[in-house]
Amino acid sequence: MIRTRRTSLSLDLALLALLACLVGFIAYRITVHLDYAWHWGEIPQYILRHDDRTGRWVPNYLLRGLFTTLRLSLWGGLLALALGLAMALARTGRSLYWRLIARTYVLLLRNLPPLVIIFLFYFFLADQLIPHLALDVRARKAGPGVRWLLSLLVAEPGSISAFLSAVCTLALFEGAYITEILRAGIESVERGQWEAAHALGLRRHQVLRHVVLPQAFRQVLPTLAGQFISLVKDSSIVSVISIQELTYQGSQLMASTYLTIEVWVTVALMYMLLTFPCSLLVARLEARLARRHGGDGHDWGCLCRGEEVL
Amino acid sequence: MNREGQGDDIIIASNLVKTFPGPVRALDDFSVTVRRGEVLVIVGPSGSGKSTFLRCLNGLEEVDSGTIIIDGLPLDDNEKHRLEIRREVGMVFQSFNLFPHLNVLENVSLAQRLVRGKSRARAREFSMELLARVGLADKAASFPAELSGGQQQRVAIARALAMMPRVMLFDEATSALDPEMIGEVLDVMRQLAEDGMTMVVVTHEMGFALEVSDRVLFMEQGRVIEEGAPEQFFNTPARARTRAFLRQIL
Ligand SMILES: Nc1ncnc2c1ncn2[C@@H]1O[C@H](COP(=O)(O)OP(=O)(O)OP(=O)(O)O)[C@@H](O)[C@H]1O
Ligand SMILES: [Mg+2]
Repeated sequence: MIRTRRTSLSLDLALLALLACLVGFIAYRITVHLDYAWHWGEIPQYILRHDDRTGRWVPNYLLRGLFTTLRLSLWGGLLALALGLAMALARTGRSLYWRLIARTYVLLLRNLPPLVIIFLFYFFLADQLIPHLALDVRARKAGPGVRWLLSLLVAEPGSISAFLSAVCTLALFEGAYITEILRAGIESVERGQWEAAHALGLRRHQVLRHVVLPQAFRQVLPTLAGQFISLVKDSSIVSVISIQELTYQGSQLMASTYLTIEVWVTVALMYMLLTFPCSLLVARLEARLARRHGGDGHDWGCLCRGEEVL
Repeated sequence: MNREGQGDDIIIASNLVKTFPGPVRALDDFSVTVRRGEVLVIVGPSGSGKSTFLRCLNGLEEVDSGTIIIDGLPLDDNEKHRLEIRREVGMVFQSFNLFPHLNVLENVSLAQRLVRGKSRARAREFSMELLARVGLADKAASFPAELSGGQQQRVAIARALAMMPRVMLFDEATSALDPEMIGEVLDVMRQLAEDGMTMVVVTHEMGFALEVSDRVLFMEQGRVIEEGAPEQFFNTPARARTRAFLRQIL
């Protein structure tokens, strides 16, 4: 045990040294050869801007983009979880009809490139379904309190339709992965648990609600949290349908200011701001679960996205 | 608690047939009747269909043909009947099958609240009473993983008793236990028998069978080979197959 530690430590040191050399070389290249005028000083104003009229600091493009990404991720995550749960229940249920539907859903969505899904569903949803709800009009007519709440939790009144379409497409896409994660969780619960609960006279939905799902969720919580991180990152693809989230704002800003590297480094840091706490949380959860199960090698790997075959 | 006019036979199983893909005839025209308050012990070699029979009795497994009547209620396709029978029949498994995410008290209380519709307080009260009966009142707040096998199985018995069943089924309740823990579980079962519970017990504990049971049934390949009072069954078995089986395990 100690021996392997040693070797891996020296290996770590070697790798670290190599990395340091690489970083040093790149820094050297950039300072000496790259003909790039740095303007880091201009970046903060795109995060926070001083409004001279009201005399207050207000979020500018990048921070607004970050908030939109956060809202997209939260609503998309919630919706994806609900959809994933419904589909996982259908997938593991008794009805052949529902099993087939859920299976087709997962099969379709996991075998298409995300961008294609986004375009397909966005133009279908945005053009065909959501305009009929006339949400934007209703939002504009709503009182100032409601409007304020809407723009805090959802989107500016003028772009609610677009935002909703984006949330739906994201949820549809991530829901397929969550379906498979939850299915694996449900199937990991031993048959004896079902039998003990049935023998006590519980109905199927009670068994699910009180016995099987709590155990299934506990089993896949780290995987699920990991999928949420993926969702935060994947939310950047809705920039192609002009949702003004972080990546979209970044590309707009780059086009208008030419501060390419500064903008994208800032955007990257802002994404990290969202995903890093999640990652820490996942690591915590995994450590806690490993302790609870005595570290008996729960194979999270097989539960990860894309690994589970149909 | 007895229902009026149901007679003395609480379990009437007639001509049960159950096949598994293979095909395996796990139950082959199997019939047995259990009187109210009787303790029936079922013995037989591995794969003879003992578990299958118990699982059919509370509808965990569906028979291909034959009829099961429990305390006057037929176990048929009617989902209501099935649920009602499950409430009246408690089952204890070889592998305990406690709910690992719930503590001992919640394990015992869950079905009281969900199925019997009891309040949290009343369920708790009865659960504590039952836990005291199996000698585990001080473990109410523990989780199953923190208990020994014997303790887990006693909790499982309390959990089944919480539904106030008229019949208790035990499927090799002590087979997964370390030898020093078998006694504590058998003691609980013995006490239950003395209190007049109707019990169908699949076990390899011949001492328990001899001492506690009213009748012993030997089955093989899904059929009843021989049954009788324990002294007669163990001392003067009628069938050669039974004698061979007893020689093997005693
Ligand atoms: N779910 C199942 N699928 C297929 N075959 C099964 C199933 N359950 C039981 N069997 C078969 O039915 C037969 C009877 O099994 P059963 O579990 O009832 O035996 P048993 O008497 O309880 O044996 P043991 O003492 O080993 O527990 C066996 O041949 C077994 O392989
Ligand atoms: Mg068995």
